[in-house]
Formats: sequence, structure tokens, C-alpha cells
Amino acid sequence: MKTLMIKTHEAWLEVLMAGFMSKTENKQVLFDFSDILFRHFTWLENELIELDESYSYDRDHIPIKVEKLSELLKDIITRLNEIDLQLLSSPDKALAGRIATDLHYMIDVMTHMKDETITAFNMERKFPGVELTQEATDALTLFLFEESYKEYELIMIYNYLKAHSNDAYMNRIFQILIDESFFHLKSFGDMQAKMGLLGVPRIVMKELYQVDDVVQFLKDGINEELAAKEECKKLSEAVAKDSPELEKFFDFINHQENYHIALMEDALKHFEKDADA
Amino acid sequence: MSMDAQLIEHMMNPKNYGTLAGSNAEGIGKNPENGEKVAVYLRVGTDKDGAYIEDISFQAIGCTTTVVAGSMITEEARELNINGVRNLIEATMKLLDRLPAEDAACSEMVALALGAAVDTYEKRIEDPDFPVITYTVSNSCVPKEENQQDEEEEAV
Repeated sequence: MKTLMIKTHEAWLEVLMAGFMSKTENKQVLFDFSDILFRHFTWLENELIELDESYSYDRDHIPIKVEKLSELLKDIITRLNEIDLQLLSSPDKALAGRIATDLHYMIDVMTHMKDETITAFNMERKFPGVELTQEATDALTLFLFEESYKEYELIMIYNYLKAHSNDAYMNRIFQILIDESFFHLKSFGDMQAKMGLLGVPRIVMKELYQVDDVVQFLKDGINEELAAKEECKKLSEAVAKDSPELEKFFDFINHQENYHIALMEDALKHFEKDADA
Repeated sequence: MSMDAQLIEHMMNPKNYGTLAGSNAEGIGKNPENGEKVAVYLRVGTDKDGAYIEDISFQAIGCTTTVVAGSMITEEARELNINGVRNLIEATMKLLDRLPAEDAACSEMVALALGAAVDTYEKRIEDPDFPVITYTVSNSCVPKEENQQDEEEEAV
């Protein structure tokens, strides 16, 4: 089961990366498939929790650097076939059956996907239709690496907290935060691919999601969100002269952080109320 | 951080990132100022010339600069003998003064984690249960002018 969860984690990220690379109608299909694989991952995680088995979000390195989309799809199909085989030993036959039917469909669709030439790794660092100064390009590059990892990290943390909580109020908050982070990860990953800078977010260290003190985690998280707002503001100012579109986008992301802060403040009040009771 | 192709390659695809199966030593570098941390894992082998780094990996709670430093330094350390690793750490520490404050703290944290891993390995030769050694950075992640400004504001 653990191997199955790890392999599904890797497949989810690999399909998500394929979605970033695509510039055609394949893109949305790959994004939808990656969402389905993420849900498989959470189902399998829940199984492990019910079986009282310890697990982590550790995984292997995922090589994604290809020149043609078909090369990556071939690798993904191999991976999905391996998962399909592993499902045979899964104790929950009903879940295994449901996942298998999804995998068979995805494999069939990906086998027939139109091929594309990939430019997501060319390191040109040019945003389509925008001429940025060297300083703004460097700032944007660093921001995209920092924040795409951060959003992946947040998805994993909130997902872990949600998986281990039976509190409906908190789980609503965690789910919204997961959804928000997915939107941001997809936005930043897409920008990285457009600039020829795509990379798989690095593995999240265990101690970040196996949180001992949720109250302190939320307090630190609010401060991190405030710092992220500041980074968005700086970046918006850095690109403003060259690109009003990017300026508006980073102002939008900056204002979106207000949702995260409000949700984390709600969660904090909820936890503190529980602690006082 | 000024960016060239080599640096961007390390950002896109950090080398040696993750835990290490069969590691026989681990070391930690920490920055108490911001809670950042680097863990270096070593698998030390021995041949006719003595102990050498057979395999190495690292993980970080930190910024992209830390990850790039980890990727570069662990690549350099691979296959070096213990003296070679100590020389690499010393050379890295000597370079810190020439780096911007935030980059210096990140590189120092990686070098310290590597040093801690080597020290842990050597301690474990005598005592296999010796705990993982942790070292703390001396460089501040905050540029000197900002530090000075904060101190002046606190004084007021």
C-alpha cells in the first residue's frame, strides 16, 4: 500500500508537469488527470491511516526533461501500468477496482494524444509578449521557484492535516487552502514552463507536515503569508514598467493571500477556543 | 543571486536532493534566526586509501539559494575522501565574506551540515549510537544595513 501511494504521488506530479508543458488542448486533459491522480493519492493515504500504517510523503526523483510530450507520456503510461499491477495486492478491492478503471481510461487517452514539441526546459527566461529587464527577469525567476515549491509544500501540509483530522470545521478550511494552493501552483508552474524553467518541486521534509503544534504552525503560517504578500508587491513593482498584465497578476495573487490569512486566522481561533474549553 | 545557466539548472533540477537509503551518517546545519535547516546524509565507504563519500544527499527547509548551495556542494563532495571534504568545507567558509548576507548564511548552513555529517561519521566509528550532530550558522540572513536599522528602531 505504501509503495502504491508513493507511486501514485509520483504519477500525480508527473502528469501535472506534463500539463504545464503542453500548449494545446492536451493541457486541460492532463490537468484533469493529475487532479484525479491526486484524489487517488488521498484515497490510498486514507487506507493507510485506517490500517494504522505509518507513512510519509517521501518519493523518488521524477525525471521530466524531454523534447517531445510523447516521451513523457510513454514514461507516465509505464508508471500507471505499474500502479495498475500493484493494485492487485491492495486489500481494498473496491477501491482498487475504481482506481484501475480510471487508470485504464487515462492510459488509453494518453496513448492517443497528439504529440507536441516541448520548450519548457529551454532556459530562455522570456515571458511571451513581455520584454522584462534583467533585474525583473531574475526577480521573477527566483519568485517562481520559491513560490511553486511553497504552494506544493502547503498542499502537502494541509492534505496531511486534513487526513488526520475529524473536525469538519477545520477540514473545510484545509480543503479551501488546498484548492487555493493548487490554483497558485498551476499558475506559477505554467509561467515556469512558458519561461523555459520548469522543474518538479522538491520533496517536502517530514517535520514540515507532521506538525506537533498546530497553533504555532498557524501563527507561523500567517506570518509567512504576510511575507508572501510583500514578495508579490515587490515583484509587481519590479515588472510594472514592462508589463501591466504581469503587474495586475501579481497584485491579484497578493490580494488572494488575504483569503489564506483569513482562513488561517479562523483556524487559529477555532484551535484556541478548543484549547480553552 | 546573480543567475547563469548552471545556477538555473541547479534550481530546476537540484542534485542529490532527498533522503539516502543506507546512509551511515547525518549532519544538520541550522539557522535559529529564521528556523531554516539543512540535513546532509552520507554513505561513507572505505577503500585502500581510507574513507570516502560513496553517496551523499541533502534536504532543506529553506529558500532556493539554500537548495542551490546544497546541490552544488554535495556534487563537489561526492567521492572525496574525508580530508577532501574538510578542505571543501574550509574553502566554502572562506568564500562567505564575498557573498551577499542572505547567500552567505545559506551556503554556511550547507557547509556546516556537511561538516556535522562527517563529524558524526567519525564519532560513530567509536560509538555507533552517537547522535546526529547539529551546528548553527554565524552569518545573519539579513543584510547588515537592515540589521542595523532594526537595532536602531528597537533602541528608539
